[in-house]
Amino acid sequence: MEGNNIIQVRNLCKSFGNLQVLNDISTDFKEQQVVSIIGPSGGGKSTFLRCLNLLETPTSGKVIFNDVNLCSKDADINVQRQKIGMVFQHFNLFNNMNVMKNLTIAPMRIKGKSKEEAEEKAIGFLKRMGLEDKATSYPAQLSGGQKQRIAIVRSLMMEPEVMLFDEPTSALDPEMIGEVLDVIKQLAMEGMTMLIVTHEMRFAREVSDRILFLDGGKIDEDRTADEFFDDPHSPRLISFLQKVL
Amino acid sequence: MGFFEQIAVIITRYYPYFLEGVKNTLIIAAMSVVLGVVFGTLMAIMRMCRIKPLKWIAMAYIEFVRGTPLMVQLMFIFYGLPMVGIEFPDVSWIPNFSRFMAGIVAMSMNSCAYVAEVIRSGIQAVDEGQMEAARSIGFKYGESMKLVILPQAIRNILPALGNEFVTVIKESSIVSVIGISDLMYGTNGVIALTYRSLPCLAIAACIYFVLTFISSRLIAMLEKRMKHGRK
Repeated sequence: MEGNNIIQVRNLCKSFGNLQVLNDISTDFKEQQVVSIIGPSGGGKSTFLRCLNLLETPTSGKVIFNDVNLCSKDADINVQRQKIGMVFQHFNLFNNMNVMKNLTIAPMRIKGKSKEEAEEKAIGFLKRMGLEDKATSYPAQLSGGQKQRIAIVRSLMMEPEVMLFDEPTSALDPEMIGEVLDVIKQLAMEGMTMLIVTHEMRFAREVSDRILFLDGGKIDEDRTADEFFDDPHSPRLISFLQKVL
Repeated sequence: MGFFEQIAVIITRYYPYFLEGVKNTLIIAAMSVVLGVVFGTLMAIMRMCRIKPLKWIAMAYIEFVRGTPLMVQLMFIFYGLPMVGIEFPDVSWIPNFSRFMAGIVAMSMNSCAYVAEVIRSGIQAVDEGQMEAARSIGFKYGESMKLVILPQAIRNILPALGNEFVTVIKESSIVSVIGISDLMYGTNGVIALTYRSLPCLAIAACIYFVLTFISSRLIAMLEKRMKHGRK
């Protein structure tokens, strides 16, 4: 079920001033794989994810997406980003647009889709989410869970090859976490390639093919989901799991 | 004669002085705000751009203008510049054109620095996540600005620009010192004719207040309408 490498990370380092956040990370992500990234706060999880679509510019190293080195000057990052969806902790829906506009603006302006085509597709997604009555609402009128599901749809509208989730449920009220996780699980079943930074351990185990433990800017453990929880090797991971489980 | 009777008499006899003053005050304020917004926008763009020398020039200009009195700037332009050979031309069919020009240039150069800061802070007040989301979906920087950031920044900027207009109306009273016949200049003229400073100043204060009050009400209405548009 697993295909070719879609993202290859080579010797990735990232520093903010004197603070080294990522320290020589190398790993591969395969097509249709769901990988969760877990670790303590400040361990570099979000920074790692943000380096993959160059929201953060790596200090050194390479991020190769479909054989394109995103860090090289020749790569058109704007084109590559269209294929890499990203979902943020704080949703970041465009506050000046209603839901429909949020969903259709990128396909229309970037991909040149017609208004009808984009709206039809958006309505299809909204129906699946049970949010079709929210098409004309503004982000300020939605609950956190609704916003995050819309944000996921906004990314899907661009038909990305990989989706990055940066703590998608950390800013949600507890009763809304489920509805967002269900959407992500659904995507996993449909074979979407996903990288998920999360603190939801049970979810990570359920949905992931593979889990990375990121601590001190390094990948401290890299195992299948079950091994990760049942047979952890790294002492840091063992003490981390004792605290959170 | 009581105070209010004095006011009534002064108004009936000397109202052309005040009217002329109001007209000129409004012309100067409007011109200064328009020019201030145009150049303030350019200044804000320079201030935020990635080309370091442009950025430094804008920063230095904004800091300097905001850190020195308008009176000094006005004197500098009206009395100082001609001494180094820079003079505003006279236009025969507009009386006092060179004075007006000096006044408007000084006011708008001053206003431009404040407007630049208003625009910059309005843009920077938009949550960073908005830009990140736009960029991550594949929009270029310019498109992200145009489609996502600026429409939101405008809501922060417009009310503050309205306040700037109110400020400019009030501060424009200073151009009377270089002999522009604005409201303050007219008031001084009436005082010189009547020797009644208190009622004359009371009239001037009331007129200034009416001008600024109407402006700020209009701005508040505009703000309200924009909120409705967004809900």
